[in-house]
Amino acid sequence: MKLKAVGSALALLSLYSLIFIGQSCQTPPAPPEVQEALSQEQDLWRAGASFFAPKEYEAYRQHLAEARKFFQQEELKIGYFRNYVKVRQKFRQVIDEGNSLKNLVETRKTQAAGEIRSLKNRLYERYQIFNSFSLELTMRNFSRQHLAQADVMFKEIDRLLAQEKYDLAREKLKAVENLLNQAENILRRQVERYMDPDQVAAWKRLAEKAVKKSEETGSLLILVSKLERRLTIYKNGKPVKTYEIGLGFNGLADKLHAGDDATPEGEYKVIKKVATSKYGKALLINYPNEEDLKKFNEARKKGIITERTKIGGLIEIHGGGKDGLTQGCVALDNSDMEELFRKIPVGTPVVIVGTTNLNNKIVSVFQDDKKAEKK
Amino acid sequence: MKNLMKLSVLGLLVVFLFTSCAKQPTQQIDEAKAAISAVEAAGGNIYAKEELKKLNDDFNAAMDEVNAQSKKLFKKYGQAKEMLAKVKADAEAVKELIPARKEEAKNNALSAQEEAKAAFEEAKALLEKAPKGKGTKADIEAMKADLAGLEAQLAEVQAAIDQEDYFGAKEKAVSIKEKANAIAEQVKAAIEKVKGRK
Repeated sequence: MKLKAVGSALALLSLYSLIFIGQSCQTPPAPPEVQEALSQEQDLWRAGASFFAPKEYEAYRQHLAEARKFFQQEELKIGYFRNYVKVRQKFRQVIDEGNSLKNLVETRKTQAAGEIRSLKNRLYERYQIFNSFSLELTMRNFSRQHLAQADVMFKEIDRLLAQEKYDLAREKLKAVENLLNQAENILRRQVERYMDPDQVAAWKRLAEKAVKKSEETGSLLILVSKLERRLTIYKNGKPVKTYEIGLGFNGLADKLHAGDDATPEGEYKVIKKVATSKYGKALLINYPNEEDLKKFNEARKKGIITERTKIGGLIEIHGGGKDGLTQGCVALDNSDMEELFRKIPVGTPVVIVGTTNLNNKIVSVFQDDKKAEKK
Repeated sequence: MKNLMKLSVLGLLVVFLFTSCAKQPTQQIDEAKAAISAVEAAGGNIYAKEELKKLNDDFNAAMDEVNAQSKKLFKKYGQAKEMLAKVKADAEAVKELIPARKEEAKNNALSAQEEAKAAFEEAKALLEKAPKGKGTKADIEAMKADLAGLEAQLAEVQAAIDQEDYFGAKEKAVSIKEKANAIAEQVKAAIEKVKGRK
């Protein structure tokens, strides 16, 4: 009986021992922080941590590697002796560091995107100034080719920003800036006379002289200001009516020869009234005058134009619409031309100038552009 | 004394055997490295970024294991060898994925290029048909210059394709298409402007 009881006790003890050993041999699961940290590292890489915070990301990876090593060493121990408390602490520290790094990456990304957007907006402002200006000039030029290319690149930049490809966006912005500079150079070359105070002062003197003469003689005067696309009738030195006008592709330039599509500048007079022309009613002026002939001959001597080049003629103030394009004439809407035709007799002086305004829109376009550049 | 000498020699022999038998798996390391380099050479940095990152991480983990073992008296490189072999196998598998992805990117770029060309040609044809009256001549000339700019950009799409920059080519082509469509709309508006006057 006694032996039986001892046997039972031993069997029970053995069972408990087996359960104890079994339990102590079981491998405790890896702490969840381990997987969390590994996923976090992938997320940080995807977010561009290696690019936006390279030093901090490297330090973080180093700490993660240390934590992993510590975890591996702990795993080498027999299950019962493993202690994941320190492992969890180490990984928690890494996760906290990763969270800070994530914020840092986001901040730097926002900064980078902000800088690029601000640069892009500045350049886009320049683009808009040149784009509308080039349309206004209605000149056949290459500036629009550059501007169209810049516009394509602005669209690309928007996509690159959406994809967080900031380096590529920066590269494109440089290319856009280059295109805008080229467009600006072309535009400037075409209109630089309008930014020259001496030239504008000369035009102003010419206009004032004509107005004074109108005042003194009580006669009519037609004053055309090309830049403002304006034709004004003066009587007794006072403006009595102003009309909007259209010019040619090269209307802002001073006419030198046939086919240059430029509108002549200087003192002229109406020499013929044409009741029916291709463009409605028309007032023919005496281009070329003596001054024009002088300029033309000088240009020929200097070899600026060839011997075959002709000076041209048949410059009119005619109808057909102000939004058309002339080959050097001044165009008005037909109703305005009808009125002008009635009011103006043959012999009326016609003065054509670039502009009389020193702070004209060309000056302001390039000033605005400078402002946009400085921002 | 003799016995002591014998024992010492035996001990040294045993230590030598244990340490010299476990040499660093240099061949496996080189193979894994070469496999990763092959992925990079095939365009992994562009077409298999995530996979390449994982390969590099796994390779670094394997090297950590190699380094850890190299510091031990009794070196066991078995696990490191397994890890390196896996890196090599994974790299080879990743390399296999790249041609299809590259082909897909190329096809996308080519189809975007075709669409851009079509939009450009449509705008050009519209412009040629547009009545070049006094009221539209200026607009038409401006749009012609715009299209000349687009043509220059289309050439850049081809250049990007030639340089195998398929993603860049696609982005540019899509932007050109948008601009060409906008010009086509402007041409239509100019035509309507003339029609309205008649």
